[in-house]
Amino acid sequence: MSDPKAAPSRDRGELWSGALAGLRDELLRRVAAERGGDSLGEAGRFDLFTLFEDLRHRVGQLGMRERSGEVDDFGLDPETIRSARPLFQLLRRRWWRIELVGLEHVPDDRPVLFVANHSGLLPWDGMALAETIEEAHGPARRPRFLIADWLITLPFVQPALARLGGVRACRENAERLLATGHSVIAFPEGVKGAAKTFRDRYRLQRFGRGGAVRLALEAGVPIVPVAVVGAEETHPILFKLATPARAFGLPFLPVTPTFPWLGPLGALPLPSKWVISFGEPLATPGPDAAQAGDDLLVARLTEELRSEVQRLVKAALAIRQGVFS
Amino acid sequence: MSTIAITGLRTFMGRRLAERLAAEPGLRLVGLDRLRPHGLAAGVHFREVDLTRPDAGSELADVFHKEEVDVVVHLAFRREPTPDLDGDHELETIGSLHVLHASAGAAVPRLVIGSSTMVYGPHLDNPNFLSEAHPLRGHPHAHCVQNRVETERLVADWAARHPACAVTVLRPCWIVGPTYRDAVTRYFGRQVVPTLMGYDPLLQFVHEEDCLDAFARAATSHHPGVYNVVAPGVLPLSTVLRTAGKRLLPVPPPILYRLRAYPSQAQTGDRPEGFYDYLRYLWVADGRRGWEAFGRPVYSTREAWMAAISSKRMRSYR
Repeated sequence: MSDPKAAPSRDRGELWSGALAGLRDELLRRVAAERGGDSLGEAGRFDLFTLFEDLRHRVGQLGMRERSGEVDDFGLDPETIRSARPLFQLLRRRWWRIELVGLEHVPDDRPVLFVANHSGLLPWDGMALAETIEEAHGPARRPRFLIADWLITLPFVQPALARLGGVRACRENAERLLATGHSVIAFPEGVKGAAKTFRDRYRLQRFGRGGAVRLALEAGVPIVPVAVVGAEETHPILFKLATPARAFGLPFLPVTPTFPWLGPLGALPLPSKWVISFGEPLATPGPDAAQAGDDLLVARLTEELRSEVQRLVKAALAIRQGVFS
Repeated sequence: MSTIAITGLRTFMGRRLAERLAAEPGLRLVGLDRLRPHGLAAGVHFREVDLTRPDAGSELADVFHKEEVDVVVHLAFRREPTPDLDGDHELETIGSLHVLHASAGAAVPRLVIGSSTMVYGPHLDNPNFLSEAHPLRGHPHAHCVQNRVETERLVADWAARHPACAVTVLRPCWIVGPTYRDAVTRYFGRQVVPTLMGYDPLLQFVHEEDCLDAFARAATSHHPGVYNVVAPGVLPLSTVLRTAGKRLLPVPPPILYRLRAYPSQAQTGDRPEGFYDYLRYLWVADGRRGWEAFGRPVYSTREAWMAAISSKRMRSYR
């Protein structure tokens, strides 16, 4: 072979194929030598070819595995969940060491409305909660977590969350989910909860306008208050920037110890210690539309629910020794 | 013996619906269009009416009166947008107005109007399933969708003022099938399909036969109101394209939206947003009301799509 620099570019292909052929012959010679023969037999050549075909087939199958695309009505893809499970197991067991308290309070025979404190920019809390319940009660009982509108605006994030069971938080969606027998995880604090700075951590914000309670009353499902402690330290927001956020169309641009300094790596959660605590189901008076229309009752139940979640959060904080232990 | 008049006889839905209903006993079919169609089905009486003419209303009323029409099925809509924006508006919106006026003049007891679930519009804040009561927001850059939205408003207004006439509005989603062709199936028919990078919305299809079934049942039974005509189930856009063996070309939305001179876009007379936003955000409709009234579709979304692509594959081997 001539010097590659001297060879014109159109000869580069020949150069490569020549090099590859040489490599293949060398490999075959060594394989043959290993076997005790010294000749380059037809059998050896054939073997390599089938090996290549086999590899190609396997790679093709790998590609096909993601092609199931069999999603349910809300876009949940069991195949995606299955492939993401090892990562979640790692996060739950090793990274966050999630401790569960009061899981026996969660009924496993009927849809439930989970109401939790919200924290963090990415819905790690919702995903962790959904995984926890699925592990305890089986895939059929996997709850769907409601996600805020501003997450829906993010490309790449929205399709991924939808496949993991995230559903846009709105009344129609939650009603339909509960009516079709799915449990729902609601974060009534909404963006206000997600946008809390580190200083205000675990201080619950106003619970929306009582939509969660009204929903449970109308659907006749029990409300299970949940405290998620630890998620607030995954992305501790030091302060928020308003002006650059407007350029990206976001409600706020957070500054955390890792974001935006580390770029996309800043999306990785910190290894805080988590405690998920389930409270006793709130007794709801049953599927009575008239009751759901009683605004005072709804407001009273909402406040009750908020103080219960706040109590659970405080109790769960006492379980932890520190943020990371 | 009841008489059914179908406007837009030369459209896909009009022709197929006329053929199907003409085969049923006890029905008389009157087909209306601007030009006489080739291969008119046996038993369909053709009447020439141009809906874009200013006097189309009285002409139509005359036909409805003389033929003693019991049901008017209004299907004279463009199958896909054309660069002739004014022409589309004249035919779709003003033409519908003529049909409404004529129906009032001839005291037609029943009216069936074909619309589309595209009238809900692709919006970020859509719920996963849009019910018939959801506001019609359309899309500002899809002129044919805006025409339909305007038509639906006219129809709702007219129906409130004419309680004697039972008005049924059917909103099918994207139709696919072995023989149906429009801008959407052409988009899906390309070898390399441009998609919006970072977006993978859930889509919904209805098989052409299921759609025809719904229209036939609406024309022959009494079901006033608005109904979505959709198949059960949804498919992500990526799955739709991969099952058809297409190559995806993800393009960042700002770049794709600047390709105004892109040939397939130039054909529609709309900016790219008018079509591609439907591949960006959710606009899946809830079909339960329609299934209760007209029966559950035979094909699910996945089956309808499979039927469409497998027939296409057969054709290419012929």
